[in-house]
Amino acid sequence: MGQLTLKLRNSLEEIDRLFENVQSFGEAHCLSRKQAFQLHLVIEELFTNIISYAYQDGKEHWITINISCDNGQLTVGTEDDGIPFNPAATKKPNLSGPVEDRKIGGLGIHICKEMMSSMKYKRVKNKNILTLTKTLPPAG
Amino acid sequence: MEIIEKRENLTAIFQLNGRLDSNTSPEFDEKITSAIENGTNFIVVDCKTLDYITSAGLRILNKTAKKLKKVDGKIVLCSMEDYVKEVFEISGFDTFLPIVTDLEKALEKLKT
Repeated sequence: MGQLTLKLRNSLEEIDRLFENVQSFGEAHCLSRKQAFQLHLVIEELFTNIISYAYQDGKEHWITINISCDNGQLTVGTEDDGIPFNPAATKKPNLSGPVEDRKIGGLGIHICKEMMSSMKYKRVKNKNILTLTKTLPPAG
Repeated sequence: MEIIEKRENLTAIFQLNGRLDSNTSPEFDEKITSAIENGTNFIVVDCKTLDYITSAGLRILNKTAKKLKKVDGKIVLCSMEDYVKEVFEISGFDTFLPIVTDLEKALEKLKT
């Protein structure tokens, strides 16, 4: 069982720290390059989504990110005190057709849903709590 | 992130070295926009040393493809790791952005 909890300010400056910590977690839990890449991507998309849309007061906020790996079950959780937002309920973006019709909005969440197996949301008091899980194939 | 810009006749080749994410995308956006404003209509993005891309990076490529389409230009991506390519496939970007195996094929593709 491995677990990592990170508390990050709502600033893009935190991305390097986030990246380094996720990197060490991946190495400690023998994630393959591809698995580590996907974990980074999911966490960074969730984090940048929160800092871009959750806060409208211009103040500093703290975002908690949890990662755990237990018996091949990878779990990623985020917690923020931003405006209520349920990413799990968002619609799939338009993924076909000519480039003129493509919008970038919603793509980050879509990528997270595709890279993980489940995404669950709950609002508890003033917090958005999001949990994503994925079963990793046995190492070999 | 290091962005190396090269020229081959009328084509600009951008070699991306490192991570293309929310922090590094603005620099890439600036370089690619400036190339288009200076009359470059043909662009290759060489991803041989690209370790990582997020939706912030995809946003720049989407914007670039839209701009180039208006001026009858073209953009081709090449030399991508499989797991990087998967992000393009999941996002449906491989349907409007040609992705080929190496730089030579990318330069050929621009001529077609």
